[in-house]
Amino acid sequence: MKFYEESDLPIYVQLAEWLENEILREQFKADEKMYSQYQLADLFTINPATAGKSLTILLDNDILYKKRGLGMFVTSEARNVILSKRKNEKLTTLVNGIVDEAARLEVPFDELIDMLKRAKAKNEGGINRD
Amino acid sequence: MIECKNVLKKYRRHTALEDFHCSIQENTITGVIGRNGAGKSTFMKLVAGYLKKSQGEVVVMGENPFTSLKVSANTIMIDDNMSLPISLTLGELLQSFALFYPNWNDSLANELMAYFKLSPKMYVQNLSKGMRSTFHAIIGFAARCPLTIYDEPTTGMDSAVRKDFYRALLKDYLAFPRTILLSSHHLEEIENLLEDVLIIHNQKAFMHLSISELKESVVAVKGSKVEVDRFVSMHEKLDYNETIPGTVMAVVKVSQYVHRENFPQLTFINLTANEAFIYLTDSQEGGIDRVFERNELV
Repeated sequence: MKFYEESDLPIYVQLAEWLENEILREQFKADEKMYSQYQLADLFTINPATAGKSLTILLDNDILYKKRGLGMFVTSEARNVILSKRKNEKLTTLVNGIVDEAARLEVPFDELIDMLKRAKAKNEGGINRD
Repeated sequence: MIECKNVLKKYRRHTALEDFHCSIQENTITGVIGRNGAGKSTFMKLVAGYLKKSQGEVVVMGENPFTSLKVSANTIMIDDNMSLPISLTLGELLQSFALFYPNWNDSLANELMAYFKLSPKMYVQNLSKGMRSTFHAIIGFAARCPLTIYDEPTTGMDSAVRKDFYRALLKDYLAFPRTILLSSHHLEEIENLLEDVLIIHNQKAFMHLSISELKESVVAVKGSKVEVDRFVSMHEKLDYNETIPGTVMAVVKVSQYVHRENFPQLTFINLTANEAFIYLTDSQEGGIDRVFERNELV
């Protein structure tokens, strides 16, 4: 993984997203031990305090839980939490963008719905052909 | 670990630091950054006990570093001007350092020497600039001092060696946590290593914050003159350019986080930590171009 210095997201947010992706890819399953902040610091050559911040984000979102003296582990609902969080954030932003652009181009709402339906039909057609 | 209160340092009539305050926590890596002549080295030398303050209070490990043996035994400062005896070989130099520093790690020193292709039989005065810096850095790693100060340790090192140096610094910090001060002109190379940055500007401690806070404190926007002017009027202006009539690019310092979605008419430009630092410490509006413009008029 490469960090994007120009990104408006701080390193610890980028790292938190990378960790979430690792959980989605099932590199870490429920009740498995997550990397420690020192392992992450070593892995990416970053300050351990920065790595600690990323882990705290996941801890606050109930993606990880702490076992005293043993480290951090993946919760059983981790995947669902990440999926619903991503859905709420990313999809909502995209939908807002579509609605804004439609208003700018004076596309009536019904036409927008039709466009979405057509896009869905095309997508399903594509999947069937495969 | 380090407390400075109202510190003044004068070299005869020249003021190097004034009204200087800072507080640095134990076992953190702090980047000390500033433009040339801002007072970085003076600050570091005061902390190491190499210089005597003119006024104010410098406290390191609970003592005055200038007169404290405890600070002297637990501190090492690495810079270009380390005066090492020219009659001793590198190997002999390492042995004498081992006598002074109780935590000295001999095998680490030897392995780093071998890795960077430095022979213990060589002499300091025969080393190239980059190799000499590398040798100094090795002393800094092996000494394992609770307070380790690197003043521009990478001068003269090629980019591959610099990369190895940063990696080694972090690895060694993870294995043996300690308080590290690191100054460099390449903020983009060290920013990920740092917990905090201390910006020294105009002889004062200008800001002490984390890298992400530094990035958030400077905002660059582009847009129509009316909209940009309205945004600029709410903040401290750092740079202002009307490149195309009616379209303005401006850089401002903000006191709290700006939510971009609140300003849909403006385009926000992402700045790196280094760019943010340069804008914050640029005293001359218009920069170098202004000097040449004035000269052409004469």
